[in-house]
Order: sequence, then C-alpha cells, then structure tokens
Amino acid sequence: MANTESLENVVLELRRGVIVLAALSQLSSEQYGYSLLKQLADQGLQVDQGTLYPLLRRLETQGLLESVWKLEEARPRRYYIISAEGKKALPKLKKEWAEIVSVMKNLLA
Amino acid sequence: MKLINRYVTEVGKRLLVFQGREDIEKELRSTLEDMLEERAAKAGKPADEALEIELLKEYGSPDSVATTYNPHPYLIGPQLFPIFLKILKIVFFSITLGLTVVMAIQLATQTPLMGSDVTNLVGNWLSKLFSTAVAAFGYVVLTFAILERTVPDLGISKEDFEDQWEPASLVNEPEPDAVKRVDLIFEIVFTFIGLAIINGIFDIPIFSATFRQFVPWINTVFIIEILLDIYLLRKAVWDTATRVVKIVMETGTIVLAVIMLQTPNLLMIPSEALENIPETSSIGIEGFIQISNWSITIVLAFVLVMASVELIKAGIGLFRSYTRK
Repeated sequence: MANTESLENVVLELRRGVIVLAALSQLSSEQYGYSLLKQLADQGLQVDQGTLYPLLRRLETQGLLESVWKLEEARPRRYYIISAEGKKALPKLKKEWAEIVSVMKNLLA
Repeated sequence: MKLINRYVTEVGKRLLVFQGREDIEKELRSTLEDMLEERAAKAGKPADEALEIELLKEYGSPDSVATTYNPHPYLIGPQLFPIFLKILKIVFFSITLGLTVVMAIQLATQTPLMGSDVTNLVGNWLSKLFSTAVAAFGYVVLTFAILERTVPDLGISKEDFEDQWEPASLVNEPEPDAVKRVDLIFEIVFTFIGLAIINGIFDIPIFSATFRQFVPWINTVFIIEILLDIYLLRKAVWDTATRVVKIVMETGTIVLAVIMLQTPNLLMIPSEALENIPETSSIGIEGFIQISNWSITIVLAFVLVMASVELIKAGIGLFRSYTRK
C-alpha cells in the first residue's frame, strides 16, 4: 500500500462491511444511537457517528429495524430495535459471516 | 447549547433528503447533547461554550455530517453509469459523423480548393467539434442527473444493456405491459438533446424563420415525451392512461411532421455560405439548397416512420390489454 491514508481507507472499508451485522446483533433490546455507539466501542468496535446514524436509518428503511421516539431526562431520544424481518435476516447474516471468517482463516493461514 | 442548535440548523440546511429531515436534526441534537453532557461530567464542570466548540470541531463540519445522510453523493450512480457511457459514445460518434459530413460538403463545394481553405475548414471542424461535444456532454450529464434523482429504483441490471441473451430467459413469460427501461432512457436523453438543438442551444444556426414557427409545437411534443418516459420509468408498466397519452402524442408528432414536410425552406442557408460557392463548383447554389432540403426531408421522414411505428405499438398494446381482461 502506497501510503497511510490508502491503508486507512482499506481498513475503513473492511470495518464498514461488518457494522450492519454488529448493529443488528446488539439491537435485540432497544437502544438509542449514542448508547449503541458506546456499546460497540466498549466491545472494541469503534464506529464513526457519521457512519452509524445514516446506517441505522437505512436499516430502518429496509425494514430490518424499527424505531420510536421517547422522552428521557427531558431529551427526546430515538430508540432502535430489531424488527421481525431483521430477526429473520440475522441468522442468515451470522451464517454468512461464519463462512467468510472460515474462508479468510484458510486464506491468511 | 446555543452553538449546538446553530450547528444542527447548519447541517439541516445542507441535507438533501426531503423526508425525515426533522428526525435527523432531532437525533443529531440529542446525540450532541448526550456527548456534551458526558464531556462536562468528565471535566467535572458544567457544559460551557469552550466544551461545545471542542465537541463540534471533533464531530466535523456541517458539510461532512450532512453528506453522510445525503442519498446521492454522486451525480450519476453506479446503476446508470454504464448506460450513461454507452449513450455518451453514441452521442460523440453522431456529432463527429455529422460535423465531418458538413465539412466534406463544404470541401466538395469549394473549387478550386486552396491550401488555406482546407486549414480553415479543418480548424473550424475541430473547434465546432470541441464546443458541440462539451455542450452535448453537459446535456447528457444533466439528463442522467435528473433521472438519478427522479426515478428511485430503475431496476436496471447489467444484462439490460450488454445484449447478453440467455436461453433461460425464455422460461419466464414476458410481462406484456412491462416497459423497456433502457429504451426509455435512450429516448429521454436523445429527446433532451433534440430539445437543445431545436432551441438553438448548440449554436448551429441552420433553422430558418419558417422552421422556428414550429418550435413551440416541437417543444410541447418533446416535453410531453420526456415527462411520459420519466413517469413510465417510475411506474415500470404501461397502463391505459399512459398508452392514450402516447397515442395522442405520436399522432401529434405525425401531424406535425406531415405539415413540416409540406413546408419549404425549413433550413436556413447562411448567405456567406452561398457566396462562398464559386460558379465553377460541381454542386452549385441550387445543388447546395437541394442537399439541405433533402436532408431535412430525410430527417422528417424518419420521424414520421418512427412515430407511426410507436403509434401502432401503443395501439396494439391498448387493444391487447382490453382483450386480455
């Protein structure tokens, strides 16, 4: 890789691909965007706000998530939770992920 | 929180989404307030302007934040880009061919031919080619940018424009009312370019005052055509209403073409062009006028045939849709 910036872009692309699965896996109980961001970070997956919020909106448009506004501590917060369709898609995505991991392990061994 | 409010307003101004704009602003404000509160707790002091500035600087410029939400970070998306390239090639080829024919006619009419005449003609050809190609490029890009934003999901697959035919496609019964999306896109782009030519945007001063009387009518037909095509792209199927509009529009085109065919002197031949034709020319002034009359007749005859074919297709489609019921 010619320079650090290009390498960073490749890393970003790699991470971007897994954020959908990571977000869906953590939304079996409802969470607002910032709490999900912190939860993912606590578990070692740093996600940029500029990536996560538009992604949550997109997943909602695709029917994989549902959201509801709630007033908490005098602050409105948008809570997201996995939808019935999302629950059906999650095991398939997990299986796909397991296959990718297995293939990549072999390739990188 | 004053700065956060202003920041959210600035992001909102830059959002290109029409639905859910308020939701985005509300969620952004709520997130920033959460983050500010957290920072203040960490710093062990109440949230102040300095903390707000620090937070907003890290969050990024309103432009960059808005861009992440905007659905079209590109002018022409990956779905339309291959067909855009294909149409661009056709347009550039047609322009080169057209201007080369014009240059060849000019060369043929200039006898005796001096070396400087050839240099001038080639120079003119090059500059005209460049300016027309740039203008046409702009029009094609504009048309595609409009399509990208007006038709949410074009549902065009690679096979649609790569002429890849699979025997397996015969298994599925073709949907009789389905529109051919790629054909519609071609039609929209070329109608758009036609509009530009007819209205003199490409600086090709060939239309006479007689021709210009027809321009409002031609514009009306072209605009209806573009609107109908965009509507069909969005709907994906023909129905009675769209077929009736198509029939009315094609009938109008035929009537217009027939009237124009009977009208002489539609093309304007610049007086300087006639002056430049020497008496010794093999074609002569009358020949030159005849060539221009023939060319417009050929174009109008082509329009007449195409409109008749489209009219018949729409009529058959309408008839079949009723007999199927």
